[in-house]
Amino acid sequence: MEKLDVPQGTLDLMILTILSREPMHGYGISQRLAVLSQDHFRVNPGSLFPSLYRLEQDGKLKAEWRDTENNRRAKYYRLTAAGRRQLEQHRERWDRIRFAVTSVLEGA
Amino acid sequence: MLLHRLMSVVRWIVKRKKAEADLDAELQTFLDMAAADQVRDGATPAEASRLAALHLGGVEQTKEHVRTGRHGAWLDAAGRDVRFGLRQIRRNPTFSAVAIATLALGIGGMTAMFSAFDAILIRPLPYADADRLVMIWDDMSGRDITSKLTPTPAEWIEWRRLNTVFTDIASTQLADATLSGDGEPELVPARRVTWTFWRVLGVQPMMGRVFTEEEDNTRVRVVVISHALWQRRFGGAADIIGRRITVKPIAREGDPVTDEPYQVIGVMPRNFYFMPSRDIDIWMPASFPPWMRRSVNWHSDQVVARLKPGVTLQQARESMAALSLRVTAKNFGGPHPVIVTPLREEIAGKTQTALILLLSASMALLLIACVNLTNLLLSRGAGRGREVAVRAALGAARSRLVRQFLTESVVLATLGTLGGLLLALPAMRFLERLVPDAMGATRLTLDWRVLAFAAAAAVATALTFGLAPALRGSQGEPQSGLREGGRGTAGGRSHWFQHSLIVVETALAVVLLTCGGLLLQTFQHLRNTDLGFNSERLLTFEMPLFRYPDFDRRTAFINAAVENVRAIPGVISAGSINLIPFTNFANATFYLLEGQTRNQTAGQVALIRNVSRDYFATVGGQLREGRFFDVSDRTSSSPVAIVNETFATRAFAGRSPLGQRFKFGNLSDKGYWYTIVGVVKSIPESGVLDEAKPAVYKVYEHSDQIGDLNAGIVARTGVEPSSIVPAVRQAVWSLDKNQPLARIRTMEEIVDQQLSTSSQSTALLGAFALLALLLASLGIYGVLSYAVTQRTNEIGVRMALGATSSGILLSFGRRGLLLTLCGLATGLVLAAIASRSLTTLLYGFQPDFIPTVGMASLILVTVAALATFVPALRASRIDPMKAVRQE
Repeated sequence: MEKLDVPQGTLDLMILTILSREPMHGYGISQRLAVLSQDHFRVNPGSLFPSLYRLEQDGKLKAEWRDTENNRRAKYYRLTAAGRRQLEQHRERWDRIRFAVTSVLEGA
Repeated sequence: MLLHRLMSVVRWIVKRKKAEADLDAELQTFLDMAAADQVRDGATPAEASRLAALHLGGVEQTKEHVRTGRHGAWLDAAGRDVRFGLRQIRRNPTFSAVAIATLALGIGGMTAMFSAFDAILIRPLPYADADRLVMIWDDMSGRDITSKLTPTPAEWIEWRRLNTVFTDIASTQLADATLSGDGEPELVPARRVTWTFWRVLGVQPMMGRVFTEEEDNTRVRVVVISHALWQRRFGGAADIIGRRITVKPIAREGDPVTDEPYQVIGVMPRNFYFMPSRDIDIWMPASFPPWMRRSVNWHSDQVVARLKPGVTLQQARESMAALSLRVTAKNFGGPHPVIVTPLREEIAGKTQTALILLLSASMALLLIACVNLTNLLLSRGAGRGREVAVRAALGAARSRLVRQFLTESVVLATLGTLGGLLLALPAMRFLERLVPDAMGATRLTLDWRVLAFAAAAAVATALTFGLAPALRGSQGEPQSGLREGGRGTAGGRSHWFQHSLIVVETALAVVLLTCGGLLLQTFQHLRNTDLGFNSERLLTFEMPLFRYPDFDRRTAFINAAVENVRAIPGVISAGSINLIPFTNFANATFYLLEGQTRNQTAGQVALIRNVSRDYFATVGGQLREGRFFDVSDRTSSSPVAIVNETFATRAFAGRSPLGQRFKFGNLSDKGYWYTIVGVVKSIPESGVLDEAKPAVYKVYEHSDQIGDLNAGIVARTGVEPSSIVPAVRQAVWSLDKNQPLARIRTMEEIVDQQLSTSSQSTALLGAFALLALLLASLGIYGVLSYAVTQRTNEIGVRMALGATSSGILLSFGRRGLLLTLCGLATGLVLAAIASRSLTTLLYGFQPDFIPTVGMASLILVTVAALATFVPALRASRIDPMKAVRQE
């Protein structure tokens, strides 16, 4: 099956959502994205890492190096308070977009 | 939020090493984890890491994405470009040194010129709303004395009453005064000013107050003093206000004779000054005697007025021209219009034109520097075709390449600007001499305005010289760039552009050379003009005569002083004149020839000078007819006069003036009839640059006792004039130990000072022109030299095929010459246009355009020929064997 590109502007939302459950490292996020999107989305690290770094720079995420369960060192990202607020806003907007788009598509 | 973002940018830059390591480690973890998963899914370790890498999609690209995705990424890229630029500069030290030095000259010159321009022409003058202030003069064009004459009190009093365009009018009169008590007596420049002066200018004293209308009208003896006088004479005393000081201003007829002191009521701020010069120390109430208020021919007042809100200069001019004709319809020496000029223009004078010219010249120089750099960069860019091709092949976008090229230019321009500022500082010290006397002493500094200007110049410069090479350099197609094996790829199409740049800079150099030549010719003319006078080794000084109110004692004192000065060893002869030549256009009156009626005197105005009998012999006056004064001219029963040639021509065209009688000053029946005994070659009494005006000389003894509160002494010396200054003081003090001496200077200093605008603008423009010539020839040399290098191979082939070395020499020589001639032709056309803007700096002199142009052309062609010849010669000496093998 051909994979989809992540729609513009939704990657941040998905990253924030995934991290809202628990802190996670870059590889974990990319794996979680694949699983949760049921393999529809292809997110390559060339898009993922810039987003992570920008969110961190904006203070939405906080990163720290920790040991993984397999005794590797990995950089874990977790949501900050500002990140949680951002997630709520984005979520709300996304819900409205989804509602609006669906209404148009079904109403036409 | 913004702050947060800014901080994170700063953090990223500060900790970029750690951040990069972090990113490396993180991506490595990613790879490891991905590989581990692949192994778990059954891949071999080698295959696993290949797949993982594939998944990651290129470590470097990912890193670059992260870098460029961050805030402040542009800053980062700029930083890298700057470092790259600096590396390029270190790699080509010669190129960089030439580039930076050229830019430093260009930007330094322009920055220094701007600082002078800004200080003199842009910065607000120290008055409220200074651009609403104008000065008003009588327009006497078509009459004898001068086209622009100070108005009479009666005139401006009428203007003040009737005008509709000014909020108010003020006038000031010369009142140079002797200050005595507390220390040595000294002569200080002073003005009598009307009470309206302060409110017209909108100025406040720093301490105390200014005088009121009532004080002005009731002759209250009060003065406002300058900050300088307060500091110098009174040591900045805090209790200066209210102090009584002994001041003796030039007395006017009708002023009460009294020794009553003046009370200091105010001190002006340090930055205050007003026309005619910055060194006025005392302002006192005008308190006109009644006759002066009615005077229609006492042209003594400098008039300043403030435009009403909403009134334009043009409206004021029209309104005042009409009003003046009405006021002067009769009895003001005939109806005449007035000249209304902005105060700024009066203060700046000819310096304004000089500054505009010099700033333009400095811009032209910078432009030449830019053009040169453009050419150098284009040439170098062609050599860098391969490097660019590699970068483009590795994925650098064109915009990125352009940005990088431009950053290099900006780095060069920045270094050049820093060098320029270093050069500008000493240049600014020199340019301070351009500040006109009528303006407060101004120290030129690198303040924020000048720095902002320099920064703007740097950016503009970088864009000007960097854009074309950046656009051209970045367009290299990877394929052709790589294929050509690293040889330059400039190709024919780039030549026309480089060639036209050469033409542009040559043309600019021609313009500067021509203008410089015209100024030089004018300056030489001014220098060599026969002033009717020998100014070599002539010491002059002035003595206020307030201690000698009695006419006979005064005359005796002057004669005794002259005698004592003459007796000093080293002095050849000495004489006296009431106003030192070239320094003053005061003391002008109407004159009446025998046989004329009073109403025929309109427009007959002459300068009147009192001299000692040996004055003309001392200064080297040239007798045209008749005789100089001699010992027989003693009594005043039959007064005699010597007139200058201008007077003779004006009053007695075609006849000999000898033996003719005329009156001046007092034209009534009581006035003396003077008999003309001699005619001298005209001396431009009112200023070296002025046309000679009709002048009358008479001996002190024949004076009608008005005026003359100062006497000037001139002494011709056989030794260096400054060496006898102590002896001169002693000579005067042996007669009267309390007699002040003022303005001790040589005649040459006076002449030089008057020619200073001309000499300085000539010197500066000359310097700009020579630099322009140097840069332009460097440009020609650079381009040809580069072409020779580029075409070494081709030349080798041609020579191998039988071309002679003289043929090669000719072909390159022709090219250089052609470029030069094109530039010359363009330049001459531009120079003809530019020279028109010079008119005011030519002081009415009409320099010969042709020799100047010929000289400029000759210099240019010679220098350009040299610049052409060197690379052409190199081309002709190419060894075909080596050249062909170089492939």
